[in-house]
Amino acid sequence: MPQSAELLAGNLDLVILKAVSLGEVHGYGVLLRIEQISGGAILVQQGALYPALYRLEQRGLIAGRWGTSSNNRRARFYSLTAQGRKQFSEEMQSWQRLVDAIALSLTATPNQV
Amino acid sequence: MSLLPQWLAELAARTRALVRGLTQRATLEREMRDEFEHHIAARADDLMRSGLSASDAQRQARREFGHANTHRMDARDAMGLTPIAQLRFSWLDVRLALRILRKHPMLNIAAIIALAVGIPVGLAPAHLARALEASLPSDAEGRVRAIRHWDPLFSRVAPTSEADFARWSVAVKGFTSVAAFRSTLAAVAVGEASPSQYSAAQVSASLFPMLDARPTFGRTLDARDFAAGAPDVVVIGHGLWSAQFARDRNVVGRSLRIGRRLYEVVGVMPDGFAFPSNEALWIPLRAAESGGAAERSRVQVIGRLADAVSDERAQAELSALGVAPLVGSSDAGEMEARARLRAEVVPFSLLFLGLPAGGLDALPEFRYVQLLMFALLLVACGNVAMLIFARTATRLRELAIRNALGASRTRIVSQIFVEALVLALVGAGIGVFAVDWAIGKVNIAQLAGEVALPYWLSLELTGRSVVSALALAAVSATVAGVLPAILITGRNIASHLSGASRVRFGRLTATLVVADIAVSVAAVGMAFAVSQHATDLRVRDQALGVPAAEYLAVELRIPDEAVEDLAIDQREFVAALQREGGVRSVAVSDALPGMDHRSRPYELDAAATGAEDDSRWVRTVNADVEYFRSLDAPIRQGRDFERGDADSAARVVIVNTAFVAQALGGGEAIGRRIRFPSSANANDARWYEIVGVVGHLGVNVMNAERGEAVYIPTAPGQVKPLRIAVRTTAEPAQFVARLREIAREVNPDIVIDKASLLSDLRQADWYLVMGLALGLVVLAVVLIALATSGLYAMLSLAVSERAREIGIRAALGATRGALLLTILKRPLMQMGIGALIGLPLAARFLYELTTTPGGDGSTAGAIGVALALTLGIVLFVALSSCLVPMRRILGIEASEAMRAES
Repeated sequence: MPQSAELLAGNLDLVILKAVSLGEVHGYGVLLRIEQISGGAILVQQGALYPALYRLEQRGLIAGRWGTSSNNRRARFYSLTAQGRKQFSEEMQSWQRLVDAIALSLTATPNQV
Repeated sequence: MSLLPQWLAELAARTRALVRGLTQRATLEREMRDEFEHHIAARADDLMRSGLSASDAQRQARREFGHANTHRMDARDAMGLTPIAQLRFSWLDVRLALRILRKHPMLNIAAIIALAVGIPVGLAPAHLARALEASLPSDAEGRVRAIRHWDPLFSRVAPTSEADFARWSVAVKGFTSVAAFRSTLAAVAVGEASPSQYSAAQVSASLFPMLDARPTFGRTLDARDFAAGAPDVVVIGHGLWSAQFARDRNVVGRSLRIGRRLYEVVGVMPDGFAFPSNEALWIPLRAAESGGAAERSRVQVIGRLADAVSDERAQAELSALGVAPLVGSSDAGEMEARARLRAEVVPFSLLFLGLPAGGLDALPEFRYVQLLMFALLLVACGNVAMLIFARTATRLRELAIRNALGASRTRIVSQIFVEALVLALVGAGIGVFAVDWAIGKVNIAQLAGEVALPYWLSLELTGRSVVSALALAAVSATVAGVLPAILITGRNIASHLSGASRVRFGRLTATLVVADIAVSVAAVGMAFAVSQHATDLRVRDQALGVPAAEYLAVELRIPDEAVEDLAIDQREFVAALQREGGVRSVAVSDALPGMDHRSRPYELDAAATGAEDDSRWVRTVNADVEYFRSLDAPIRQGRDFERGDADSAARVVIVNTAFVAQALGGGEAIGRRIRFPSSANANDARWYEIVGVVGHLGVNVMNAERGEAVYIPTAPGQVKPLRIAVRTTAEPAQFVARLREIAREVNPDIVIDKASLLSDLRQADWYLVMGLALGLVVLAVVLIALATSGLYAMLSLAVSERAREIGIRAALGATRGALLLTILKRPLMQMGIGALIGLPLAARFLYELTTTPGGDGSTAGAIGVALALTLGIVLFVALSSCLVPMRRILGIEASEAMRAES
């Protein structure tokens, strides 16, 4: 069992955008997909999921529609909008820059000082 | 890919979500619940697959999901819907609002008056615009349009002829039918009775079917009545049928006389039909016989749009057709004038009112008026906001308790909004009712200087206007209720539980009161100055230049008469008048002193003053050569007109002193030349020589110095409209009957119209100025009422809040004067500042308008009286707002005040 990682505040939206960007998915599916793609390292609090989804929808980054789930239940499916795709790509780059910078900082040696 | 910038796309998405939250709150809540249920069910399925029983899986899933209500609240917060979710309007709010209305009657009455004036004033321009553009009563589908020529150079309707009508009838396919008509006046007599004048219309055969107008008796005009040699027939209106035929049901077949000809009555139209305006009878418009005559025969044209044909399509078709050049005209000026015309499809009312294609909305002046009216409503809302602020401030403790018991800020704000809404609805209701009552009682036609309003024009309130009033009430309540509520609940509302903290009026309210007083003083002063000026007989007599009370002015109309016959009739009529005992002189022109004069652009000869301004305009008068002698108007320079001057070859004019001062810079006028280049008449486009100068002759009665005019000698028969001023030795009004008799003796077809004393004539400017004065008075009254109520609100609040302090000071021996000063100092200062700002404005305006060159020194006195009056009115009303609070201050008992507070 992999160790679970603490999700930094503000990064939940990015992870949800990633999960939704992989294909249309309902709310519970988002939770499972995040768990799956993070190798079980990220466990999203169920109470935090829906406010985040609604916030993203309100910002026009994801769009929801009512459909039928695989177990034949009425469910709300979310997909990425064009605006969301753009935002996700920008946030990804920004995140990558941050990770690179932190990694670089943490691997610094005395010679570099 | 969206083309919108990210921030804009996000704003649009947020707005959409917010609107959805506002409009579909129940759906949103239901969807949220369904989504949570799906989540729990899906998790339970997974748990069952891992071996749990159905009930255990359900329980476990719910436990993991947590408290659904908390998630819902978080979700609402995330969507920005929490304040909306807290908005709950109930009958309890309305009941509370009504209770508050009763509790603060003075404040509420002031607020209701402000809104009862502000809301109808804000609505009036749009209502008027809609009323003026209404379709004809018989045109339920709104498909009848006018087809007209528009002259863009002069921004006015240009004539259309029978030839245009014939061409449009055939060539324009967007109309199912096209009809023509011409309004005229008719001297109507039945049997041996003396004739009475009625407005009549000559109409084409297609008119009645197009309007779907059916008679009460008999028939309307049809094709057989328009054939050459057909007998003369007439369709009469309900009014004429009642007045001339005593509602005889067998009237069809009887005859009436119009001028010299006998007409057989073939039908009676129902009450209320008076097309095109207030016409009482309709006769066939028989086509002019030759092509040339059809070109000159003026008619007005309407058409019924075919089904599914839009105004734009009909307009495009008409534009493609263009304006036909004049057949048989070799006059370059006339051809040029014709070439610049535009054929237009417009609502019927626009043809009648002479408004541009966009209607009232197309006039910049109308936009300004609309803005002004809305500004007034905004001022009213600002003042009402101040009243609500004051009223709410007295209830802070109550609101703080409600807050402590769990009422959110949104809930409190929404309740105050409902209170404001109730106020606004009561105000709007009273305002709308008052306007409706006034429309029914006031003779609007008379105010507008008309005999009657067009039959199709109804100023009565429509459902749409009432709905607009309600919407405006809601907007007013938002401005006047929500803003102060947010302001007052913004601070720590709980601190008011102890009653220790105090709400103060800020700079904004002080500025509002100062501005109200300043504008009121200025408006009262301006209204006084404007009305004083408009009614100043000294200014008027000076501008008129003739003893106007001794003249009777009439307009002569002789329908369908050739120029030669007109000339004979004019000469005979004038000669008959001159022979009449008691007539001192007879003056003939197309614009008598004190009437509106036609303006035209002009050019001066090369030796002009140097100003190359080619857009100068001057008023022109076509006058008989005896005009100045008949008016006893002395020639100041040069010579008077002579008998041969009316020949087109003579080409001489006389100008007035205002023209010499304004256009020639006071230089030499005699021998200078002038022409009217854009005139439709090429003859006028050639040069005229100035041979004389006269003084002011009522060209611009409001401002004689800006009444530049050129008098053109005109031969009999060519003065149109033919206006005659008759100077009598006795009372001119008593001469009207005899004048009509003389007209009948000369030619029974002559119609005497608009008989009045020359001194009773008013130019359009006069109505404009008096309207302005009235508007200023209304504005001043409203502002004074608002300022009074604002001051009252401030003082009431101050007295309530400082009752304890006043009580203590009274107990310590403070005098009544000192106590009053404590509270009144601030409002008195505000009134003083307001008056100090407003007075110079009023004084400046008074000075500008009431000071005339060569004045006799009485102006300074008039200004002093006006200013004192202005200041007196404002201060009296403003101080009266202090009376009730003053009584309360003086009535405060120290012991009671302290006990009440503790």
